[in-house]
Order: sequence, then structure tokens, then C-alpha cells
Amino acid sequence: MALHDVRTDPETTTRTPRPAPRPPAAPIRRRRERNRIAFAILVLVALLVTAPFVELLISALTPGSEIGADRWLPSMFRWANISDAIDYIPYWDLTRNSVFLATLSGVLTTFSSAITGYGFARMRGPGKKFLFGVLIMTMMVPPIVTLIPTYLLFSRYGLVGTYLPWVFWGAAGTPYTIFLYRQFFSSMPKELEEAAIIDGAGRIRIFVQIFLPLSRPLLVTAFVLAFNAVWGDFVAPDLFLNSSNTTLAVGVSSGYTNQAGYPLYNLLASGAMLYVIPVVLLFLFAQRSYVRGFANSGLKG
Amino acid sequence: MSTFQIASPAPRRRGGRARRIRGALAFYGFISPWLIGTLLLTAFPVGYAVYMSFTDWNGMTSFMPWVGLSNYQQVFTSGDTLSALSKTLILCAIVVPITIAGSLFLAVLLNKRMRGRTILRTLIYLPAVVPPVASALIWKVIFDKNSGAANRILAIFHVDPLDWLNGQLAFVVMIVVLLWGVGAGIIINLAALQTVPAEQLEAAKMDGANAFRSFRHVTLPAISPILLFQTVLVTITTLQTFVPAILLSPIAGSNVYTNIPPANDVYMVDVYEQYFDYSRYGMGSAMLVVFFAVILLMTGLIFKFLGRSVFYAVDPSESGKG
Repeated sequence: MALHDVRTDPETTTRTPRPAPRPPAAPIRRRRERNRIAFAILVLVALLVTAPFVELLISALTPGSEIGADRWLPSMFRWANISDAIDYIPYWDLTRNSVFLATLSGVLTTFSSAITGYGFARMRGPGKKFLFGVLIMTMMVPPIVTLIPTYLLFSRYGLVGTYLPWVFWGAAGTPYTIFLYRQFFSSMPKELEEAAIIDGAGRIRIFVQIFLPLSRPLLVTAFVLAFNAVWGDFVAPDLFLNSSNTTLAVGVSSGYTNQAGYPLYNLLASGAMLYVIPVVLLFLFAQRSYVRGFANSGLKG
Repeated sequence: MSTFQIASPAPRRRGGRARRIRGALAFYGFISPWLIGTLLLTAFPVGYAVYMSFTDWNGMTSFMPWVGLSNYQQVFTSGDTLSALSKTLILCAIVVPITIAGSLFLAVLLNKRMRGRTILRTLIYLPAVVPPVASALIWKVIFDKNSGAANRILAIFHVDPLDWLNGQLAFVVMIVVLLWGVGAGIIINLAALQTVPAEQLEAAKMDGANAFRSFRHVTLPAISPILLFQTVLVTITTLQTFVPAILLSPIAGSNVYTNIPPANDVYMVDVYEQYFDYSRYGMGSAMLVVFFAVILLMTGLIFKFLGRSVFYAVDPSESGKG
């Protein structure tokens, strides 16, 4: 049950108060003071890193005529900036493309990674150790290395400008997600499938009916990671898609300019805000899944 | 299920050859999506890049003129490439230590029991979930010469407005963008801190060690494999910096690639320019292959130093083999 191990999951550890090691004759006051300093530093850091969000919000609501004025707050908040930002680029089309592509990718990656992870966790075959080493290696290979050669190859076969590359990438799974599944499935007791084998169930049925339902918490993590990866990706859609079917990431970063090519900062800020809000909401609601996704990236020495 | 527990050890050993073959087929069947995908979408493109790197291809002709190793020679001698490489290394030298030390420091603070810790952790972590495109755009708004908040802050100290997004300062802005996501490491470090044996920390305290000493002699050795692993990950991520470099350019439209401030001409930007501005596919490919080799080397090194233990972390079937 490694993934639910209290010690490895920071979410759960913080909720369950650990009995703090209390030295005899402890200088409690000094420790409390130190915690107060820690608290002050953390508040300062939190303010510092969230300030850009506040500034983005303010810029997003600043009237065009007041951009560049030497003041911290505009004379009024112009909410119409948001609808202007939506109208200035084909916002809804771009959003639909992003949601479609991210969902497609998320569903494919989630299931394909689960299948491969299951294979690595519960089956034997010659070369398994070597192939798992290859998997770990590919986990470290940044996608940008293969992206341009893949683009050149795909353009030869007329696959550029379509969503097919995402279908292929999704169907291949993500090394990191496969790794998470492999760890998850490895931690389950052997009896789980032995009983089913005696009942005469095949490998696929065991996977679909027993293991896949058990991995539900990981399914969410895998989907959120994959969805975010596509939603946040700029380079691949910029290379592989064209203006008629590209994603919001590309639209927002290149759409808000005037005739001379200079950015319209208030609309750019509005657009960036609209683009970020779904990601932030997803994070706040699925925080546990995020944490699980990151915290298990190669833990324990 | 308990009925089968007694019987379970027996059938495993009895497997004959046919059964082993069937098992192997099932294994390859299950991993086939990834295996085929990796061959077609990773191995094949990398192989294609390796092939292109020995040619002088411009993407137009039907044949690829073979030039041997001359592209590789240029990667290590051409002034453009070397300056891009040195900028990338400077970027790493600044960003990696600050990210690692900063996220560890914040994790140690967040590991203390205090009120509001969950909210603080969420807020500090938040920038890490913002996609790189958006963080580049957010900081671009802040660092704009005329309307940005950065120059308004400088005005408080009576400093004249700076042209952040042009010239050398663009490099500073890029560093800020990269450091903003420091929170990603906090979660890994927080999890790592939970693995430090509580008895050892207590023993250190009994021996009269102060907070710094017990951190230095107990906590740090316990989490050092994870720190090393993180260092490699952050280095690899920083080496491939691309999106902040191109999106910070003050002119934003569809022509972002042609307006990148020279200060932000890092390695990946150079690769991109070789391919799509100069149509030097061979040169671009050679640069990619060198980059790929460096990453393989770094991955190999952590394998060597840490063994596979970091990766096989929570696997019961491997833990017995030590």
C-alpha cells in the first residue's frame, strides 16, 4: 500500500498530528519563537509568489486608456475587458480545441499507461528488467528532443495539422504515469489474481475487473497530469497545428496584439487569466491527486 | 480469499514451458502500447535526428547530402552555439542551486507545526501549476517598460524605468520566471522529510544537538539521494528552457520566434532557429543529439550513484534484493 503510506504522503501526514518528539526540559518558548519566525518567512514568501496573480488581475481590469499610467490601481475596474478578450481572439473555439485535445489525450494516456504499468507489475517475460530500465530512461528524456524530428517525420506523412499525433502520444502512454501505475499494482497482494485464475478468468478480465477499479485514485491523478500537460503545452500545438484548429495556449500567447504587433496588455492579461483559472481550479479541487503525482517521483533512498 | 492462501505457493513453480511462453506473450501484449509507442515516437525520431545530423539537409531536396561529423564539429566550435551553450549553463548555475536550496528551505519551514500551514503550502505551491506559457505572459505584463509593475516599484526608489524585456535584462526576467515555480520541489521535499527516522532526530536532540546540527547530520544525509535526484531533474528541465525565452519577447504576435532578445538565445532556442530560421536540419539535429547524449549521461550517472533504489522505492518485490 505504498501510495497510501502515511509517511510518504504529505497530505495525510499533515492532517494527522504526529507525536512531536519532545526533549526533556525542552526550551519550549524558544521553539515557539522559532516557529514564529518560520511563520513570518512563509507568509512573506506566500505574498511574494502570489503578488503576480494580483497584478495580473489588476492589469486584466485596467481600461486601455490607463495602461502605462503611474498608479497601482486604475480609476475603475473595467469588467468589459474580459468580454473584449473573449471577442478579440476566437476564444471559444480555442477553448473547445484545448478541452477536446486534453480530454482525448488524458483518457488515452490514463488507460494505456495503466495497461503497461500492469504488465510491468504483475507479469513475467524475458527482457522485462531491461525494458523497465528503458522506461526509466525515457522518463528522463525531455519531449522537446523528439518533438522536432517527429514533426519532420509526421509532415512527410501528412499528419501535421491534425489531432492524430495526440492520439498516438496518448495511446503510447506516459513513462512517468506508467511508473506510478507499476508501483501501485506491485503493492497489491498476489492472492488477488490467484483466486481469479482459479476461477478461470483470463488476464484481460483480471485487469479490467479487479485491478483497474482498484486503481481509481491513480486514474484521477493520471488524468489530471495528462490533461494539464496538454492544456499547458505551447510548443507542440504551435508546431503541429494551424490557426484553424490550434489550442488556447497558442491563441492567448499570440493573439492579443495591435496592428503594429505590440501586445495589448490589458487584453493579454484578461486572456491569460481566463486561460489560467481552469488550471488553478483544477488544482484546488484535485490537490490530493497533484500531490500524489509529484510526491512519488522517485522517493525513498 | 484466505482459502487460497495455503495453496498459493504451489502452482507458481509448476509452470511448464508452454505456460512460460504464454506468460511472456501476455507480458508483451500488455506492454505493447508503450513498447510500440516508444519505438515509433521516441526511438524512430531520435534515430532520424541522428541520421540527419550526419547530413547537410535543408528540408527541401529529396536527398540528404552526407557530410560526416562536420555538424558535430560545428556544435563545439561555432560561436553562436557556444554562446547559446554558455548562456544555458549560466542559467543552470543560477536556477538549479536556488531552486533546490530554496525548495528545501521552504519545505523544512512548512514541515513545522503551525497554524495556517495548509493554506501557506497551497499558496506557495500555486505558481508551480501555472503552465509555462501563462507564467511567461504574466511576467511579461509585470516587466513591461511602460506599464509594468516592476518599473513602478523601481520608481518608489527613484530609479529610472528599465527596459526589462530587451537587451541583457531579458535574461534576468527569464530567471525570475523559472524561479517562480519553486513550489514544485517543496512537495517532493516535504515527502522526503517524512522519511527521516524520527528516532534519530530525537537521539540527536538528546545529545544536545541544535536544530542546525541535527539538520546537517541527520536530515541531510537521510534525504540526500532525493536531493541528488531532484538536482538532476531540475538541471534537465532548465537545460531545455524554451517557452519563457521565446514568449518574453516584447513583440508578441505570430512572429515570436524572430524577435527573441539575444540575451535569451539559449540552447533550445538556437536549435529551433537552426531548423526553422536557417533550414539547417543537419546542424539542428546534431545539436539535439548532443543534448540527448548529455541527458543520457546524466541519467546514467544518477543510476550509478543512487542505484535503482530511488526508482524502485516502494516496490515490495525488489526491496528484498537490496
